[in-house]
Amino acid sequence: MALTTTPPADVDESGFLHDPEVQLMLRVKQGDDEAFTTLVKTYQDRLATIFFHMTQNQEAAEDLAQDVFMRIYRARNGYQPTARFSTWLFRIANNLAINSHRNKARRKEVPLPAGETTSVSGVRPESQVLADKSALMPTRQIDKHELQLVVQKAIEQLNERQRLTVLLHKFEGMSYSEIAETMEMTVPAVKSILSRARDTLRTALEPYMQMGK
Amino acid sequence: MEKTVRLNADQREDLVAYLDGELPDEEVQQIDHIIARSEVARHEVEALARTWEMLDVLPAAKASDDFASKTMTNLKVMEAPFILEDQWWYPYLRRTGVICGWLLCLGLSGWLGFQITRYWVPNPHDQLLNDLPVIENLDQYQDVREIEFLNLLKQSSVFDDVQEK
Repeated sequence: MALTTTPPADVDESGFLHDPEVQLMLRVKQGDDEAFTTLVKTYQDRLATIFFHMTQNQEAAEDLAQDVFMRIYRARNGYQPTARFSTWLFRIANNLAINSHRNKARRKEVPLPAGETTSVSGVRPESQVLADKSALMPTRQIDKHELQLVVQKAIEQLNERQRLTVLLHKFEGMSYSEIAETMEMTVPAVKSILSRARDTLRTALEPYMQMGK
Repeated sequence: MEKTVRLNADQREDLVAYLDGELPDEEVQQIDHIIARSEVARHEVEALARTWEMLDVLPAAKASDDFASKTMTNLKVMEAPFILEDQWWYPYLRRTGVICGWLLCLGLSGWLGFQITRYWVPNPHDQLLNDLPVIENLDQYQDVREIEFLNLLKQSSVFDDVQEK
């Protein structure tokens, strides 16, 4: 099926219709499941990355990513292109991350240290030992893997909102206004959150800066 | 170079936005000016920039190979119409329903049978029960002997005063 389908009659001309992903979503609205598969494939790794760094758990990250797609699919009939598709998707992801965090807090779960997760992408129990070792001896030479763990630990020091803001900015390359729209905040609030987050990261990572070079 | 030139709280907050290219030109010039004059401020900016670069080592996660197909399958299941006969528990429900139906029929038949029998077949004790008030006072009725005597007694008003009292 061609990418450039005519938008449905009930959709007003808006500035977002030129977004190819909005076009795909409009096709999904018309019942095109292939278009939805394309959207899933486009965003699956990006969502998995964001959620992985939020949860430090690959399985949980995939579950949350799947939840996002489920919600989008369920909402397809009422879809109106009032924003870029990615903004809408990450807004849903943000809400899900917040809900997931709340539920976790309600269940009073003790968060597993990064080293005890079942993640696929590299955080293993022995890695925790390495990270702790690095923390004890920040002046020794550390390899990329160790540095990765140190940075992951630094990211974990951020609160949920700071972490998501940093991840959207770093991995999605979102501007402050895009983050503000996604997370339903003002631009000055985003600026403030990012500033505090990066100050926290700087404090945590400063001892390793020379080694990472 | 003036090492002592310090950034105020607002400017410190602006440094990150400065690095991200999110500040208006006027404020960029102010920060540039401070950085040019202060080694401390420059160190601050460099540290923040280096911190941001260090995040590049974070691994990008990859969804499992079957993620898309699994998601689409789950969506299909979620959207599938509900067909009662296709549910795993349907045979059990059906069997239970049949058993309950038979039990109900059986109970109903029993009750109906009882009602019919009660209506059509006379109970020999019914007459006795109907006559019970007479039987209980039979001795008194026998002492009276004749009904005419009772009528005369009633007309004579002998017991009117007693009734009034």
